[in-house]
Amino acid sequence: MMAYKTPVGLYYSKEHEWVKLEGNLAKVGITDFAQSKLGDVVYVELPEVGKAVLQATEQKSKEMEIGAAESIKAVSSIYSPISGTVKEVNEALKDQPELLNTKPYDEGWLCVIDAKDAAADLKNLIDSKSYEAHIATLE
Amino acid sequence: MSFKQARWEGDGCLEKLVFELGRKSRRGSFFKSDVAEEVEIPKKLRRASLGLPEISEPDVVRHFTRLSEMNFSVDSGFYPLGSCTMKYNPKINEEMAALDGLANIHPLQDEDTVQGALELMYRLERMLAEIGGVSRVCLQPSAGAHGEFLGMALVREHFKLKNEKRTEVIVPDSAHGTNFTSAAMAGFNVVVVPSNDKGRVDLDALEKAISNKTAALMLTNPNTLGLFEFDISKIAKMVHDAGGLLYYDGANLNGIMGKARPGDMGFDIVHFNLHKTFSTPHGGGGPGAGPVGVVNGPEKLLPTPVVEYDEKKGRYYFDYDRPNSIGKINSFYGNFGVLVKAYAYILTMGADGLTEATETAVLNANYLMKKIQAIHGFSLKYDSETPCKHEVVISAEHLKGETGATARDIAKRLLDHGIHAPTYYFPPIVPESLMIEPTETESKEELDNFVRAMKAINEEARKSPERLRGAPSSTAIGRLDEVKASREPVISWMTFMAKSPRGNNI
Amino acid sequence: MGHRYIPNTREIRDEMLNEIGFSKVDDLFSDIPDGARLKRNLELPAQMSELELKRHLSELAAKNRSFTSFPVFLGGGAWQHYVPAHVRSIVQRAEFITAYTPYQPEISQGMLQALFEYQSLIAELVGLEVANASMYDWASAVAESALMCARVTGRKKFIVPKLISPEKTSVLKNYSEGPGLEIVSVGHDPETGEMNLEELGEKLDSGTAGVYIENPSYLGPIETHVEEIAEMTHKAGALFVVGVNPISLGILRPPGDYGADIVVGEGQPLGNAVSFGGPTLGIFACRNEQKLARQIPGRLIGMTTTIDGKTRGFTMVLQTREQHIKRERATSNICSNQALCAVAAAVYLTSMGPEGLREVATISAANARYAMKKLSKIDGIQTPIFKSSHFNEFTLKIKSGQKMEDFNKELLKNGVHGGRPVGKEFPELGEVSLLCTTEMHTKGDIDGLAEAAAAAMEGKR
Repeated sequence: MMAYKTPVGLYYSKEHEWVKLEGNLAKVGITDFAQSKLGDVVYVELPEVGKAVLQATEQKSKEMEIGAAESIKAVSSIYSPISGTVKEVNEALKDQPELLNTKPYDEGWLCVIDAKDAAADLKNLIDSKSYEAHIATLE
Repeated sequence: MSFKQARWEGDGCLEKLVFELGRKSRRGSFFKSDVAEEVEIPKKLRRASLGLPEISEPDVVRHFTRLSEMNFSVDSGFYPLGSCTMKYNPKINEEMAALDGLANIHPLQDEDTVQGALELMYRLERMLAEIGGVSRVCLQPSAGAHGEFLGMALVREHFKLKNEKRTEVIVPDSAHGTNFTSAAMAGFNVVVVPSNDKGRVDLDALEKAISNKTAALMLTNPNTLGLFEFDISKIAKMVHDAGGLLYYDGANLNGIMGKARPGDMGFDIVHFNLHKTFSTPHGGGGPGAGPVGVVNGPEKLLPTPVVEYDEKKGRYYFDYDRPNSIGKINSFYGNFGVLVKAYAYILTMGADGLTEATETAVLNANYLMKKIQAIHGFSLKYDSETPCKHEVVISAEHLKGETGATARDIAKRLLDHGIHAPTYYFPPIVPESLMIEPTETESKEELDNFVRAMKAINEEARKSPERLRGAPSSTAIGRLDEVKASREPVISWMTFMAKSPRGNNI
Repeated sequence: MGHRYIPNTREIRDEMLNEIGFSKVDDLFSDIPDGARLKRNLELPAQMSELELKRHLSELAAKNRSFTSFPVFLGGGAWQHYVPAHVRSIVQRAEFITAYTPYQPEISQGMLQALFEYQSLIAELVGLEVANASMYDWASAVAESALMCARVTGRKKFIVPKLISPEKTSVLKNYSEGPGLEIVSVGHDPETGEMNLEELGEKLDSGTAGVYIENPSYLGPIETHVEEIAEMTHKAGALFVVGVNPISLGILRPPGDYGADIVVGEGQPLGNAVSFGGPTLGIFACRNEQKLARQIPGRLIGMTTTIDGKTRGFTMVLQTREQHIKRERATSNICSNQALCAVAAAVYLTSMGPEGLREVATISAANARYAMKKLSKIDGIQTPIFKSSHFNEFTLKIKSGQKMEDFNKELLKNGVHGGRPVGKEFPELGEVSLLCTTEMHTKGDIDGLAEAAAAAMEGKR
């Protein structure tokens, strides 16, 4: 089995997004596991600043989407791990989509969301250890 | 047999681009006129310069001939590209479409001066109607997807006329990608139904998906797994009982032509792919033709004009006077030149020949199914009991598990055998899929050769897997950096020059 | 006895059946339920020999009168131009014509490079950086441009000139209904035939996705206020789409030069036969800007290198836009396109070079001028109806009380095919037809047209 990075201190969704909370602001990205499954990302579709997004549940809707990552032959939607309003997007991904592959947890972040009710949403997310266990079941 | 494709090689490239071949004042054409008239173009609309290459005629011919030599085709060898029906494209058909009286007529000419063209369209329509079991056929769509779009527009109009608000189109998960898009383009929401473990539409899931919002079900039969949807009558009844229409994607008609007809199965709207079933060449991507047939109901909605025959006058004519018609979906009457070739094909095959084509295509596919399935590492994901139709989808899942070799690796290695790759990774419901469609064009010897190649590649995957990953090596060029190509797309010489003005390689 | 296109004879088939455990070929169809089986033979003619086929089709062809056998002055979306012999010869090469879409780049470099060259040549011709590998025809290209404008701007209104061909109006309507676009038309200056800028200004608003014009416009006048239209369009935050006859660009300014964001057109005259209106070749080009290039419909061929970076090569790019990946969210459903017509266009444009294309364009336009001069000398005929510069298409109005259809029948009796009547679509113009000349017409042809027209007017004034 490959070893995937799962930094401690982040919150994870089972759909492979991470959240880093600073006050009410949630920085969001995709996990190392997710980028490895996607393969070489050639384009990242970013959400519009100001878009109201909902935390993803089993039943997906457009309001839960915060973009998409495209490899050569596939497009994967990225769903928000937290509800709120998109405050900032990572413009660097427009010219360097590969950051999603090379630095998924730092320079490859996707967007910042002004969380509506972070405390409530965090209950639906898991920590690094649980996430590691989760991806182990997928391999 | 061994294969080595031509490779014209320059400095860091294959054949140069036309823009790199030109020299000032060289000419590849010359025109003059006996009309001495000055042309006056308003100054601000005059063209200052035109950066087309300047090349002599022999160099133009040599350039494109070299390019053609670096291109594989049906005339070169076996092309088992699933879903694409790569059969032989008869030479005589090209000659016929180029006849002066067919190639050099204008679509807006007086009907009295194009009676032969109208007669051809009239007859072709009736032949297709007989083959598909439909009442009328519109020849306008330029491709299968164009036909699907017309089909969906007809569905939309049908319910509009009946004042029913139906917003959903159901598509099986094994369907061609175009189905989803065509339905969406016509304004429908797409509802996906899964396949069952037999590789057919899951009837329970279909039952749940059907409602009074259902406008249509789009179905390919035989489906993209090459399997006949044997519950078709039940499916048709379910859709019709709910007030919906049944749409037939004709990409796989070569699996049943002369044996069964979509119209008889209960389909209301049917498209044909003349560039598949009816042997008109694909031309490296087109032009094709995707005529759409209808059974009764939607007939009055068909695009204008339709070709009619006035028996009293003994004259063919275009009928534009159809108040319920949806209008046009093509500038003129469709890809007429393609229609001529399909018409010629049907006549040279005859009724028996068409049925024989289907029988042989299906036999060839079953022959490959049995032989390849027997190779360790290859398997059938779905139904291996009933015969397949014109194509078979093999899974290389086990081989991948054992050796790491993917369907893509196998496909690429086949190129080194002088065999075009099958369709791979489609349909998406089969892991490591290789979709193989042999068509009636291939001889038993060719099929045996293919089986040998598959065996050899299978062994290679175990013994020297690096040769698969490095494949192909007998083609004009090896594997390309597709990631680079899509991350920073260079789509024209202009974008290339903007990036690299000195004309260096990217 | 087997069919000549099918190598597996009955004997071989039996052998194969036996090998895979079937006794007869019909057993392979046992999965088709009885109710769905066709239990009779298809009612189609019996197999023809190649010679019979040739006779039959030659007979059908002989019932048509080709424009090589008598002068035909029709344009309006399909144009007769000379196709040099070598262009057809190259396009007929089996390696191009019998190949499928170049999904396997390693074995399909020839087609990929030819299509990349087509894209590049079109880009050069229209003055934009990006062109796709073809659409079906001009009409579907206009329709797809409207959809693209809506996707890029998030708006729903698409403005078109009132004077466009009825085919385009109809195709546009059929494509715009699904996504709910509103098509709004703008009239023309009755004097010049050019777009009425005041009316355009009134209709342009913050809901406008795009403005479409044709240059030359459908009835012939060259639009001269193109920069103003571009500016007005862009000011409203909309995209500017220009439709062209590509031959005209041998002498006319490329739309990319005057602000077009998207250029569409009919590429048939670039080395393709008229062939009763198809195969056609839809041109589609746009500016090289990420928000546009990623929304372009259809296939795109891109340049790259081998994985080792050493050799240049070509492959399909940005495929995620396409139907087989994005499905219901794709930019378009187009899959099979008009690739071979695009190759013909590439060979044609390469052979023309700047000088050849200028010659073809100039002769076409000069012939039109000569024809207008000759025809306007005839009593009761007005040509053109608009006071403006024309390229190679122009209007002709008869003021004799005759119907244009009858006038055309008279011309036909005198061995000449007149223009396309346009009075039905635009009744306010009167008895008007649209004529066209190209380099295919000689001075004698045009003199013949004038004589036939004079004869047709004789005694009818």
